[in-house]
Amino acid sequence: MNTPLLLGVLAGAVLSGTSLLYATLGETISERSGIVNLGLEGILLIGASVGFAVTASRGSAYLGVASAALAGGAANLLFGWLVVSRKANQLASGLAMMFFGIGASALIGEPFVGAVIRGLPKWRPAFLATLPWVKSTTLFNYDILIWLAVPVALLVWGALFKTRWGLGVRAVGESAAAAFASGRNPSAIQFQALFAGGVLGGLAGAHLSLSLTLTWAEGMTAGRGFIAIALVIFSKWHPLRAIAGALVFGGAEALQLQLQARGAEISPFLLDMIPYVLTLLVLLAWGGARRLAAPAGLGRTFYGSD
Amino acid sequence: MKKSLGLVVGLLVLVLSVALAPSVAADTPTLIIGAIYVGSVNDFGYNRSFHDALLTVQKNIPGVKLLEAENVPESAEAERVMESMIQQGARLIFPTSFGHQEPAFNVAKRHPDVYFEHAGGWMMAANFGNYFGNTQAAWYPMGVAAGRMTKTNKLGFVIGIPIGFAVGNVNAFELGARSVNPAAVTTVVVTGGWSDKAKEAAAANALLDQGCDVLAMHVDSPATVIQTAEARGAMSIGFQSIEARVLAPKGWITGLGFNWAPYFTEVAKSVIAGTFTPESTHLGLGQGMVVMAPFGAAVPSSVRQVVTAAADKIANGFNPFTGPIVDNTGVTQIKAGESWGGEKMGDFKWYVEGVVGKVQ
Repeated sequence: MNTPLLLGVLAGAVLSGTSLLYATLGETISERSGIVNLGLEGILLIGASVGFAVTASRGSAYLGVASAALAGGAANLLFGWLVVSRKANQLASGLAMMFFGIGASALIGEPFVGAVIRGLPKWRPAFLATLPWVKSTTLFNYDILIWLAVPVALLVWGALFKTRWGLGVRAVGESAAAAFASGRNPSAIQFQALFAGGVLGGLAGAHLSLSLTLTWAEGMTAGRGFIAIALVIFSKWHPLRAIAGALVFGGAEALQLQLQARGAEISPFLLDMIPYVLTLLVLLAWGGARRLAAPAGLGRTFYGSD
Repeated sequence: MKKSLGLVVGLLVLVLSVALAPSVAADTPTLIIGAIYVGSVNDFGYNRSFHDALLTVQKNIPGVKLLEAENVPESAEAERVMESMIQQGARLIFPTSFGHQEPAFNVAKRHPDVYFEHAGGWMMAANFGNYFGNTQAAWYPMGVAAGRMTKTNKLGFVIGIPIGFAVGNVNAFELGARSVNPAAVTTVVVTGGWSDKAKEAAAANALLDQGCDVLAMHVDSPATVIQTAEARGAMSIGFQSIEARVLAPKGWITGLGFNWAPYFTEVAKSVIAGTFTPESTHLGLGQGMVVMAPFGAAVPSSVRQVVTAAADKIANGFNPFTGPIVDNTGVTQIKAGESWGGEKMGDFKWYVEGVVGKVQ
């Protein structure tokens, strides 16, 4: 039975969009605390390679996911040491972390290339499995990371907007000096935010290697980290809007392949540009208002405390 | 004190050099071969096929030492890697990716005493030859297999970049499928690159969403497409390396792979004997370079017979690209009495009737 285009795009959007969502949520937390991490691509790659390496050597994909999360967190802590402790320029350090991540992940993953793993098990609720328009598709047949994606987004939203800790993070992101003056420790808060962000970035990478492709290859994230950074802006640094953003971009990726599979007569290379053109259009159309929505202290280094 | 220390050290050096000398001399290899790969040799695909062949060469010719470098980009960086292999004594180099051609040619100009065999290119020099396997006609029996095994009559083909050779593979596949199943339709999805695993998974899913129950591919590694098909209960036909069959215990039908070992052995022997002559060698199914994979458990013997018969037909010279052949817009591309072969395999800018897709 043929899946209608919309359903096919939705199915593809969820599969592609999950890792984008986790990456966007991670970057949102970091940026809410005032730190922009351009090295997100490197964090994703570290998560993907560590997750795959652990799964290939231990046989448990869940262990791989946990390791990927920890590795991502650790990598972001390293980045934190550079920009918070050593007060290095965030943009340059982020790019350095990206190259570091590319290289480190290649090193970690190299002995495991070609290993065949059992990826994350998928599960579909019984009542949905009987529906004809669901049965033959990938819809609702998801691994734990996809099922948890929206709950995690809600968790991040709750943490940032409904807890004292979240208030502290946002305060530091708006003005680290003011937060410091009110008795908070900006460095500690930024490290915590970076760790949380890194954990989510690691999960994003793990989903790619342990569920979507069941393999590891150098550079396999193919720019998703940068799309996630754009998505943070697209969603105005708000975790719940990030869900929509991830679906839109995951859908854009899936759309061009679904169109090809239906015989659309547009050049596949033009179709391939859709996600990136969409990013540019969104940033152009809503760039002004979004600039005002950014945390005021984003990218600034706070020198006052130690 | 100093004098006796010097005597002891001198004696030690003498003893050590005598002890070690025979083992150093015995280690001189017959030939040092260097190989550079664009990806990893563990890809169950393109790169693995070259690696496996070189291991066989080592078995065929005693004393061959192998230097390999994976993930060598198709840029000037490749020159650096090949130069370092030559520094280590390599006298025969296999640049295995198409994009390694120019860097290898540049290195060849600087080292006339080192020999090069490039996969898939056209450049030639006194110390530079090229070779590749003719895959297009070999896809015909693959199409026969898919046409007989499909239950939905929908076949899917994932390709990386729609170069003429890849389009030709798809065309032969569909021609083969139609020869046994006139209702078979092949849909093509292009990922835009030879090795993008996430896109390959998404492309495979898109084809499966459309009801395709057999997937084939022309990308560097067949692994992702095969695994995606296997996970969703579909069948697959492999490419590049016949080792990919371990990835689909249930859904594997058959596949094509490259067997470079006989050709590599011949070239290595010619370098050792000093009789290397540059040639452009293109061999297909039945001529030793392109081989058919074993059938999967799910393939019944009636299908195996038909497919093997088709493969034998190709090996004996049958050309599936014999006119009249109409493309999928109704235009006759190959007229009656004409047939396309050899160089024309890179010229396909159209898909045959029955293929859903357009060459851009």
